[in-house]
Amino acid sequence: MQNIQQYTSRIMRHIRAEWQLYLLLAPTIIWFIVFLYVPMYGLQIAFKDYSIFKGVAASPWVGLEHFYTLFESEQFMRAIKNTLILSGYNLLFGFPMPIILALGFNEFTKAFFKRTAQTVVYLPHFISTVIIAGIVMSVFSPSVGVVNLLLVQMGFDSVYFLVQPEWFRPIFIGTGIWQEAGFTSIVFLAAIAGVNPSLYESALVDGANRWQMMWRITLPSILPTIIIMLIIRIGNILEVGFELIILLYQPSTYETADVISTYVYRQGLQNAQYDLAAAAGFFNAVVAFVLVLTANTISKRVTKTSLW
Amino acid sequence: MHKLSLHTIALSVATLCSSGLAIAQESAKVVDKPLTLTVHLHDKKFTYDSNWPVEKEAARLTGISLKDVTIGNTPDSNEAFNLMIASGNLPDIVGGKAVKRNLNRYGPEGAFIPLQDLIKEHAPNIYAQMQARPQVFNSAKAGDGNLYYVPYLTDGKYGRGYFMRTDWLDKLGLKVPQNIDELYTVLTAFRNEDPNGNGKKDEIPAFFRNWQEVLRLVTFWDGRTSGSDTYHDFHVKDGKIKHGYAGAGYKLGMKNIAKWYKEGLIDPEVFTRGSRAREFLLANDLGGFTHDWFASTASYNDSLKDKVKGFKLEAIIPPASISGVRMEEHRRIPIKPEGWGISYSNKHPIESIKYMDFWWSEEGRRLANFGIEGKQYNLVDGKAIFTKEFLENARPVNSQLTDIGAQVRRGFWQDYNYEIQWTNKFALEGIKLYDQGDYLVDQFLGVAFNEKEQATSDKYWSGIQTYMLEKQQSWVLATSDVDADWDNYLVQLDKLGFNKVLTAMQSAYDRQYGK
Repeated sequence: MQNIQQYTSRIMRHIRAEWQLYLLLAPTIIWFIVFLYVPMYGLQIAFKDYSIFKGVAASPWVGLEHFYTLFESEQFMRAIKNTLILSGYNLLFGFPMPIILALGFNEFTKAFFKRTAQTVVYLPHFISTVIIAGIVMSVFSPSVGVVNLLLVQMGFDSVYFLVQPEWFRPIFIGTGIWQEAGFTSIVFLAAIAGVNPSLYESALVDGANRWQMMWRITLPSILPTIIIMLIIRIGNILEVGFELIILLYQPSTYETADVISTYVYRQGLQNAQYDLAAAAGFFNAVVAFVLVLTANTISKRVTKTSLW
Repeated sequence: MHKLSLHTIALSVATLCSSGLAIAQESAKVVDKPLTLTVHLHDKKFTYDSNWPVEKEAARLTGISLKDVTIGNTPDSNEAFNLMIASGNLPDIVGGKAVKRNLNRYGPEGAFIPLQDLIKEHAPNIYAQMQARPQVFNSAKAGDGNLYYVPYLTDGKYGRGYFMRTDWLDKLGLKVPQNIDELYTVLTAFRNEDPNGNGKKDEIPAFFRNWQEVLRLVTFWDGRTSGSDTYHDFHVKDGKIKHGYAGAGYKLGMKNIAKWYKEGLIDPEVFTRGSRAREFLLANDLGGFTHDWFASTASYNDSLKDKVKGFKLEAIIPPASISGVRMEEHRRIPIKPEGWGISYSNKHPIESIKYMDFWWSEEGRRLANFGIEGKQYNLVDGKAIFTKEFLENARPVNSQLTDIGAQVRRGFWQDYNYEIQWTNKFALEGIKLYDQGDYLVDQFLGVAFNEKEQATSDKYWSGIQTYMLEKQQSWVLATSDVDADWDNYLVQLDKLGFNKVLTAMQSAYDRQYGK
């Protein structure tokens, strides 16, 4: 008992002494509570027959019914598969791109050229998804699209890319990389900027070429950043670009394009079945949580870098 | 003496009564003291505006004014409704788009009050329509048999029709196709014989602004696509609920659509060209045949007159199907899932229903359809005729009307005369053409599920529809073959719960419309 009293008074003393720090921390904590912890109360609707009018508390419990509905559906299983495949490809091809870009920018010596190139690759990030989808549709259009005009010039038949399931993944992932790789490379550029210049100077004295410096100095120095970014990325693996898919997919490409979020949108939100949508979202969150835990543990063992 | 006085009293009572009646007939006043009710009325393009001239006029006449409390920072009426109901504060009157689904869902839970008895007692104008068109009003009822909203009834029959570049026909020496074989010949000629005369084989014989319209072609092979103005809807045949996408004609139709698509008779980009397809293909002298709304499609005859030489896009009557049936599957649905209802927290339900009834009186209906007398229209021989200035304004007539608060989705009864006055002459000719035959089919006005049926539909229908559309496109694009797939398709549909949904629909239908 006395121990606890001692302990609390020690904490109070500590808070009084460092109150400025706590004050600075407060907005973030409040934000977390208000926007992330309080809404968790609503998660229970995944286990309820939810009516907006009755409210969360008054809606009757239905147990795991919504989860049964989801997992009995072949379309939901297909959506899980598609989500994993799309995210997997995205990770495989999309993750290294910004690193390569950052390393490339680092090798430019002319400041003007470097800045111009950076601006050019950042730009797509600021275009809204709707416009991006419009651009994709016209670029891949069979009659007026650039891609097909080129194909026809080279003697191939034009292809109706946007309705063929086998083309959806490359188009979606390519678009994603084009839009985001430049902007994401900023993080890695910042990490590269933080590398101690004396390392490069001593390497120069030792007669290392630029290639060797990149492999032996730059990459190992930014490895912790890369790992952290990777773990975050894995945590978001189930969140594929929902808006872009909604805008680009067609019934004929559902086979490869329908992901969990689009499935939930059609099944849940369009029919105002918020409880079912919440169940799918809950499942999504659990899987993401497990993935982050796993990635973090592996990273801790292998590279000694981790989120916590 | 005694006798006389009785007589006098009786006389004076009679006079009193008749004068009271006269006052009631003249005045639309609902309340003596001005009353303000709150309203949520959402539409994609606007929310209720207390400053609309039409609203002000109604307030002057009835004594009731509506104060707008619509949650309007979203284009989606469902979302706006959900935000409103989740806030727990229900306005007195709730209306606008997406009303049927929401009021019939939350009405039985107690959020809105049943209106049928109120209407019977206090709303003679609405009640008269209810008596005259029971089926239409039945379709608005919820699963518990109650009516929770005063619907918006549309007027006029024709929506879409088949349109063809008849100047191309003349150029190629062809006649208007009367059946499916002739249509095939004509479209093939459009494809191969360069009707636009630019030396290139760039014509797109059949094109559609909504890709779903390409499916409408299955009616030429005696299939069905929808029973209402909503795509992929059910239809009724001999009292039984059916779905077009599981019917025999559909299979044959899809096979032929795939063939037409492969031969280039149908726009190769039909699935992605989107809403500008019509504008683009007509203005560039490329498109030959489509299925679209009369008024807007016919208007290209005016707008493209100078741009495309000899341009003539005329309505043609539906070519006969393989069994000789001429069918126009699309028509205006007589009742929209729009209107307004009264929430449980409304303290003046009687005044509210009387106010709603005002819009169905002769005066109120004119106000809701045409705007204000002397400003937008004048009465000529008892008919509302729009003023010349109003019709000749550069802004489209329907936009002008919504600007002042007429033709907005309150529960009212549309008067088609409002539209005829500014419909293009080509469209009127087309409508006349369709009026000479009997091409329209009966509409399926929807059913109201009870809780169990609703659960069945919620659980299965979206998955079934996804599967149907998926197969459909793959057949048109020839990534798979309808003949080879068909048996498995039916088995798969059953596995996805198709027959359960049909059974639920049927039981709801029987309950609602009577056996």
